[in-house]
Amino acid sequence: MSSDLHSEPGVSPQAGAPTPRPETESEDRRHSLRPRRSRRRSRRWSLNPRNRPEVIGPLVLYLLFTLVPFYWMLVFAFRPTGSTAILPTHLTLEHFRTVWTGLGFGVFFRNSLLVGVATLVVVSVFALSGGYALARYGFRGRKLFLLALLCTQFIPGAMMLIPLFEIFRQLHLVNNLWALVIAETTFQLPLSLILMSGFIRNIPIDLEEAAWVDGCSRFRGFLAIVLPLLRPALVAVGSFAFIGSWNNFLFALMFMSDQSKFTIPVGLSYTLGEFDVDFGALAAGGVVAAVPVVLVFAVVQRYLVTGLSAGAVKG
Amino acid sequence: MKFNQPKHIEGITIMDRRGRHFRRPLVLGTAVALASGFLLAGCGSDGSSAGDGKQTITFWDNNGGPDRTPLWKGLIADFQTANPNIIVKYVGIPAASVQQKYDTAVAAGGTPDVGGATTSYLGGLVAQKALEPLDERVSQAGLDTKLVPSFADTIRKVSSDGKLYEVPTSGNLDVLWYRKDLFSQASLQPPATWTEFFTDVSKLTDAQKNQYGFTIRGGPGAIFQLLTEMYSYSGITSFFDSSGKSTINDPKNVELIQKIAALYKKDTPTADVNNDFTKMVAQFGGGSIAVMHHNLGSSANNVKALGADKVAAVPLPVAVTGVRTIVPNPVDGLVVFKASKQKDAAWKFIEFMAQKTQNSIWNKTVGQIPANTDVSGESWLQEKQPVRDALKAIDDPATVTVQAPYYLPEFSAITKTEMGPLFQKVLLGTLTAQQFADTFATKMTDAQQKYTKRVGG
Repeated sequence: MSSDLHSEPGVSPQAGAPTPRPETESEDRRHSLRPRRSRRRSRRWSLNPRNRPEVIGPLVLYLLFTLVPFYWMLVFAFRPTGSTAILPTHLTLEHFRTVWTGLGFGVFFRNSLLVGVATLVVVSVFALSGGYALARYGFRGRKLFLLALLCTQFIPGAMMLIPLFEIFRQLHLVNNLWALVIAETTFQLPLSLILMSGFIRNIPIDLEEAAWVDGCSRFRGFLAIVLPLLRPALVAVGSFAFIGSWNNFLFALMFMSDQSKFTIPVGLSYTLGEFDVDFGALAAGGVVAAVPVVLVFAVVQRYLVTGLSAGAVKG
Repeated sequence: MKFNQPKHIEGITIMDRRGRHFRRPLVLGTAVALASGFLLAGCGSDGSSAGDGKQTITFWDNNGGPDRTPLWKGLIADFQTANPNIIVKYVGIPAASVQQKYDTAVAAGGTPDVGGATTSYLGGLVAQKALEPLDERVSQAGLDTKLVPSFADTIRKVSSDGKLYEVPTSGNLDVLWYRKDLFSQASLQPPATWTEFFTDVSKLTDAQKNQYGFTIRGGPGAIFQLLTEMYSYSGITSFFDSSGKSTINDPKNVELIQKIAALYKKDTPTADVNNDFTKMVAQFGGGSIAVMHHNLGSSANNVKALGADKVAAVPLPVAVTGVRTIVPNPVDGLVVFKASKQKDAAWKFIEFMAQKTQNSIWNKTVGQIPANTDVSGESWLQEKQPVRDALKAIDDPATVTVQAPYYLPEFSAITKTEMGPLFQKVLLGTLTAQQFADTFATKMTDAQQKYTKRVGG
């Protein structure tokens, strides 16, 4: 069935794609959205075994389950307080004003973005260098090191709170956004290293050797040959790092003690008071918090699917 | 993969000759890292020290949010105008995490100068020796005669030395929120006794129309509400008898648990077994519930959702003995941290906020019971029916206050994590009310005995 899809006229695999990509849902959708919609095209659409009701049905059902909560969030965010309308007939931006200016989401957003991008950069750099070492060099204790990396995943962040706080205080980093970047990087790095070393191991060493023969140094060979091939891996690792740091509540609340240093998750929990809840503000805050993550996924999901499946094959 | 190899090497060789391609990621990466570094470093400076003789104190609000943050900021601006040499740095902490934030700050250092706290976690802070006793300062400022006695009493009972570690700003009370319109349609009066309560909620239920007389808090926070209902029903005036045995499994208390459990699914929605206060308040605001047991805290939510003409509140009914017994809610207030280097400035802030004007503004906005007795004459209080009636019930000399044992370190764990799931079992019919109450009482008696041993010997 896959060959059938690829031989379709006008739907050639994208030129210059580094590796043959497994077919994804998005690819399918892209085909269906081609502007030319002849009868032949629609007949093919209905004949395609992927478009049968038994495939579409469960997918629609699944989408309902995932999208209805999002719909509720949007309805609550845009309808006025006290309204119980299921369809937002009268829209208001009142809740967005409450969270953006009243609660200071503008500042929180900026902080979250800074911490997220910095974490992404630091994690990617360390994961690249560490992952390369793990994949390409055989050294004593390598297996033990990998096991230790896995074991760190079992320690919950809350348990490390006081020791970390102590360390950051010694380093004068309490109330400094760098503390979040460092803590977040530390927690993200083990998984990123494991993923990245898997990706790198999948790139044949022959390629690098060919570059060395051409006169490249090891570092230059890595930059010229391996790095371009690692684009999906970088996207996967980078987006995990960004989203992980974007969503982290505990560290942001504990290591920051200044209203202007908090991040979006802290701002979100403001809307849940001790005795009262501002549902409108909660939903509007939820929208503000979700939009960047959804956007990141929309942009990178193509690479993400490739990246994950490529990294999963261990050589 | 094999087929791709030559293509890639070819491509890279060309770029290699240009000598640009592989330098770019490095340069770009370094630039991004440096740029974010500068941006973050720009945010890193700490402005806690102030020059030109001005002092900066840090204040942690224990319930930061869309309603309270602007209110505090307004009051802080007033304070800074009155005390131009003190700058207050406001930090709002989300209510759900404030205890953890305080505990971390106490354990690792980094407490603020002033903090908001309620008596539900005040005991823990006192036990960690994190707070400054305020008795002397309170009496010097002449505030001791102006604080609602039962609030001060609740605060003193939290610590084993009986000192005042918190200056109360507002109190709260468990009430029955009810729908005025539904009661008048059914020609009913708001329930004054428990018998009336049970008949009213049954009359106001019409499951066919998705209309229920009552909603039970079955999820988080259920046990404290249940305790206030139990003691309000039984009229028992203490959590422990003279021998230190818990009164929780007294037959009258067990009877109330049975009666409440019997309402489940009959006069309440089925989903109630998982109800926390947010779901309960949302259901009531949605219009399908006639009576809801919560506290004054949801006042703004209820009025916003239903309109002031449709909703009102009464204190919990009087006991079967005819006495009104109240289990006080945690009292909200301000504390000074021992580690503060600017205790005088911190105290000035608290003293300012405890005055009549500020306390009145505060409680008028949040809809709670003012802790300064001078505020009780204010006109807004007479117009705010729920708060007025709650204050009346607290002030009534006939009312008996049953203090919950917040001083027991285990109290929070027992009521919040251990008994919650068991109460859900009672609602679902897999555990009897008697078994539930017996387990509860045993835990409380054990905790009390341990405490007496520790304090007494």
